[in-house]
Amino acid sequence: MATTMLRGRRARLTTGLITLAVGTSLALAGCAGGAPATSASVPTDTAAVTGELNVLVSSASGSDAGFKAVNDAFAAKYPDVKVNFTAVPNENYNQARSSRLSAGTIDVGLANPKELPSYVPESNKGDDARLADAGGFVDLTDQAFMKKFNPSVLDKIKYAGRNFTVPTGLSYYSGLTYNKKIFADNNIQIPKTWDEFLAVCQQLKDKGITPISIGGKDTGGIVMLSVVQGLYPTAQNKQDLAKGLYEYTVALNTDKQVEVLQKVQQIYTFGQSNFAGSNYNEMTSQFLNGKAAMISDGTWNVGSLRKAEKQVDFGYFPLPASNNAADNANLGGKVELTLAVPTNAKNKDAAMAWLAFFADNYKLFNDKAGFAPSQEGVEGDPFYAEIAPYTKNFEPAWDTIWIANTKAGQAAALPFNWNAVKPMGSMDAQGAADAAQKDWEAGR
Amino acid sequence: MTKSYIVFGRRITAQLTFAIGMALVFIFSLIPAVGILIISFTDIRSLPFLPVRWVGLENYETFFSSAQIGYNVIALRNTFVFAFAVTIFQNVLALLIAVLLNQRLRGRNFARAAVFLPTILGVTVIGLIFTLLFNPSAGPAQQLWGAFGSSSAFFGDPSLAMTLVIVVQVWSGIGVAVVIYLAGLQAIAPELYEVADIDGATSGQKLRHVTIPLLAPAVTANTLLCIIGALQSYQLIYVLTGPINPATQVLSLAIFTQGFGGAQGGTVQSQGYAAAISMVQFVIVAIVSLLSLAYLRRRETVL
Repeated sequence: MATTMLRGRRARLTTGLITLAVGTSLALAGCAGGAPATSASVPTDTAAVTGELNVLVSSASGSDAGFKAVNDAFAAKYPDVKVNFTAVPNENYNQARSSRLSAGTIDVGLANPKELPSYVPESNKGDDARLADAGGFVDLTDQAFMKKFNPSVLDKIKYAGRNFTVPTGLSYYSGLTYNKKIFADNNIQIPKTWDEFLAVCQQLKDKGITPISIGGKDTGGIVMLSVVQGLYPTAQNKQDLAKGLYEYTVALNTDKQVEVLQKVQQIYTFGQSNFAGSNYNEMTSQFLNGKAAMISDGTWNVGSLRKAEKQVDFGYFPLPASNNAADNANLGGKVELTLAVPTNAKNKDAAMAWLAFFADNYKLFNDKAGFAPSQEGVEGDPFYAEIAPYTKNFEPAWDTIWIANTKAGQAAALPFNWNAVKPMGSMDAQGAADAAQKDWEAGR
Repeated sequence: MTKSYIVFGRRITAQLTFAIGMALVFIFSLIPAVGILIISFTDIRSLPFLPVRWVGLENYETFFSSAQIGYNVIALRNTFVFAFAVTIFQNVLALLIAVLLNQRLRGRNFARAAVFLPTILGVTVIGLIFTLLFNPSAGPAQQLWGAFGSSSAFFGDPSLAMTLVIVVQVWSGIGVAVVIYLAGLQAIAPELYEVADIDGATSGQKLRHVTIPLLAPAVTANTLLCIIGALQSYQLIYVLTGPINPATQVLSLAIFTQGFGGAQGGTVQSQGYAAAISMVQFVIVAIVSLLSLAYLRRRETVL
């Protein structure tokens, strides 16, 4: 009897424990059901906008300064709103957003819902697309302030035909920032083809100047993305490649695909010594100190380069990965930080007012952020006028088109296995490409 | 009739204290642990609005799938290399330092504080210190390498990164191990050394036949703490070599990157998958810890 009672008690305890655990874990995960309302509007009465406004973005010195400038001006217009602005490092953003979204403490945050092409299995749909499907973001398509933004940019960030996000600008990153003085002193012209580019690198190396500064620890992947842009220059080329890979008609270790890694390997030979251990700051300082003639980086660094104590006269050109100059004519890029209002935002009125204010005062933001402007008629840094010939046809970079296959192995994540190539990894280009193909096939 | 011992004067006080302790263990350890086991069978993403589906063993099948197994085996191998090396080096060095700091030396207290200092530094601070020290362009370590006509990418060098991370981990964790050994050393009666002196024992013999046998419980405690800590550690690796460096990928780092999307450019699965890796790691840590405990307890008895 006593044993039965004890067993009964234990069983109840176990059941209770499991129920409590399930309840706790699900509650912590914030899996509230039901379709939320995705509409909101900008309040017309300034005095009606009050309370706290929580803005969460990923951090970069330029954009942080831009957001702060907007926040200060917003606080002057809306004195009854307290703006809590948080900028967290890029690599921790998802973690911070996840917990704060669950708690409903984001009024304005970042989102980037991406359409899933028909050839990509549904299981690869990203978190933001899933959130948009579930009504997690306010639909901003019909808001008056959206008309201030360039329609072609808005088109690029549409999801399911709707705009859930506000574009803060554009960045290009398939090129190289170059030191104009070093180029002039050595009588070097901007290379237009791969062979010319190799000759320029060799000439600089022979003179004891590091041709390219690379941040192996942080931004080593930019080299690969730049090569892909030259070898697959149009959006259609890249989409065909992605489709071919998902349909297993194209392999990662043959043809142009292996050429990507071979060219990456060649470029690595022109990096600063031991670049695999260099972080972003070390990479930038090599360039600012005049030790390196070029830097493999995106245009998002323009603001920081301008603010640097030691000024360098710099320009930017596409890394010419192809021997056909026409393929190297355009820079690949992306729409920068895209702002969204979660539907569980506690202060939606203030969030909508802030977005409208941001759109009206975009120049205030972009003068500090240094992006290529996402609004027509807004002047960006003069640097962007210089690179206009490379940006008149906006070409999306490879990582904005590629959707990773969660079933495939890590070597095929991007899917070019750039960080396995020496000295970043321990393989040659063919070995890294074979490893990527093996991991890609395994996800079939 | 068994005599009951009342530790705190009243039985109710003891029961209450025990109950509070157990409640804390229950709420903060047991319930989350069971919760992790349960969510490892789901596709939970820890985001509002998104439904949670029961996926059965799918996450475990993914972990052991042909696509992931190669990467996970490397992570597992790195985890064991890291844990084994940290445990051995940290314990041997800590024991030697503790024996040294137990002597009557000038500046002994300062030396003890200096050895303990890294323990109170945060992981990020330690990461920053060693990133600067091993800066590949102009750091002091590079200059030292240069003096021998060599150079290295240090944390960026796939063949050196793991060794360096182990060195940093040993440096940062040695303080606690030294304190535990010092406490053990101070509990050894000085008479035993006097007897050994009378018997004409050398310093080495005293260490082998007096110090080490009597320190066995401290060795057990330190070894277990070290093994469990090292098998679960990822913070230093993350700060020093980044989240997706294959050369230093360990299981706990895989859990973090999969669970929280720290791996930029990497494939990000659901947090259910991260929970499944956690369960695999839990089983490994439990087996290794229990085997080590059984072995160390047997050694204590033999000694």
